[in-house]
Amino acid sequence: MSGGAVSAVLVRPVARTVPWRTIAVGGGLGLLLAAGPRMWGDGATDWLALTALRASAVAFALGAAFLLDDPARHTTAVVPTRRAVRHGLRLALVAPVAALWWTAALLLVPGSLRPPAADVTVEAATVLALALTGSAFAIRWGDGTRPGQAVAGFLLASAILAPLFSPGSWALFVTPDDPKWALSHDRWTLLLCAVLAVGAVCATERARRAGLRGLRSPSGTSGPSRA
Amino acid sequence: MTPTVSASGLSLRHGGTRALDDVSLRLSAGVTGLLGPNGAGKTTLLRVLATAVPADRGSFTVLGHDPGTSRGRQEVRRRLGYLPQTPGFHPDFTAFEFVDYVAILKELTDRAARHREVRGVLDEAGLGDVRGKRIRKLSGGMRQRVALAAALVGDPAFLVLDEPTVGLDPEQRMRFRELIARAGEGRTVLLSTHQTEDVAMLCHRVVVLADGTVRFDGTPAELTARAAGRVWSSDGRDPGAKAGWRTGLGTFRNVGDPPAGADLLEPTLEDGYLLTLDGAGAEVTA
Repeated sequence: MSGGAVSAVLVRPVARTVPWRTIAVGGGLGLLLAAGPRMWGDGATDWLALTALRASAVAFALGAAFLLDDPARHTTAVVPTRRAVRHGLRLALVAPVAALWWTAALLLVPGSLRPPAADVTVEAATVLALALTGSAFAIRWGDGTRPGQAVAGFLLASAILAPLFSPGSWALFVTPDDPKWALSHDRWTLLLCAVLAVGAVCATERARRAGLRGLRSPSGTSGPSRA
Repeated sequence: MTPTVSASGLSLRHGGTRALDDVSLRLSAGVTGLLGPNGAGKTTLLRVLATAVPADRGSFTVLGHDPGTSRGRQEVRRRLGYLPQTPGFHPDFTAFEFVDYVAILKELTDRAARHREVRGVLDEAGLGDVRGKRIRKLSGGMRQRVALAAALVGDPAFLVLDEPTVGLDPEQRMRFRELIARAGEGRTVLLSTHQTEDVAMLCHRVVVLADGTVRFDGTPAELTARAAGRVWSSDGRDPGAKAGWRTGLGTFRNVGDPPAGADLLEPTLEDGYLLTLDGAGAEVTA
């Protein structure tokens, strides 16, 4: 059976399983945040514009964290079409929306205040990849059908705490006038690659059992009988 | 006859807990019942055999394919229907749309043929009249039937049903029994249940699982026969009984080792099951 033929037929039903409303809420909030410096007026600074764009990216990623939620997960657990195909289709459906949305967010920031677009796009892509990989990880190693909420919570907490507590030597949260800006974005690129690699591993299904058993819940609704 | 499923030494641990311990069994055409108390490992065994989770140790084949390999797992899944213990749905889908979605996931890509088959399994599940209704508006019993229809689509040779009658009212259970009996014609069906009545009425074979191990594997008649001469009636609860309860007639039905001269009763499959569990050291409730 051709995977391409199945994928083509799957596009419509998979599109209906995408949580568009949640993504729209995250995206809408993100656009509002990105529009902040423009609404602020003359008092807006480069730092405010950069922070607004970073917050905007996090808002979109919070909505995207729900992308892989699947209430029918257990009912469709053992079909021949691999989970990676379904997840890949969801990503493919959302990717153009995300690209358009991010372009709009960038354009909302006044040109004079806008940070280097390519660099800040790498940051946004990393945050989005973290959200999606977090969900894929939870699905790969857990039995839950809706990992989105937990992943979004973790992402939000990380987004607040990381700039406050990450070591200064990492230089991840610098401003464009900082001499470490270029180095910082080399690191963001590395981080993005690492997150994508983990995401690719999480897209596979296990044929043999391996570690991390502690993260798995018992299979049934009733717990195993004894230790 | 070549068995549909042949499993040997399946073991699986959840953290520090042994969920399956050296389980071996062979399944062939017909309905096999899987009985056991809560936490016996029934769902775990079903999920392993349905390729939903891999075992830690042991091996098995389904229809000659080894699910331990990626290719083998795909082949098994092409011939498998699975109804999980708590089936989930996309609630905005209609019954037809959901089963059609599962049919596509089972690689039925020809639209006309697929739709014919989806209509067929929905009719078979008694959902022909509500196939255009959104799943969120269906009753629990109807949703369960949607899940069964989803399991049946694609005409699987091996059907795994995890407590399909739980939470259903008696009428719905009867309907489900009819469905499962029909599904078992020419297929291998593995049915996990707490209902000994379901096993007595549907199954040609029964496996009792307790503490992750197989405690009995035979016919329902053989399981019932385990209680022959060990069920008796008395006016009061017999302290020597493993289990005993007052019947509607006012007398007590006791299961265990009867005293001399006891008024012996015809055993049921449930009696045999209770005594099998008692022999396994599991808690017997009455």
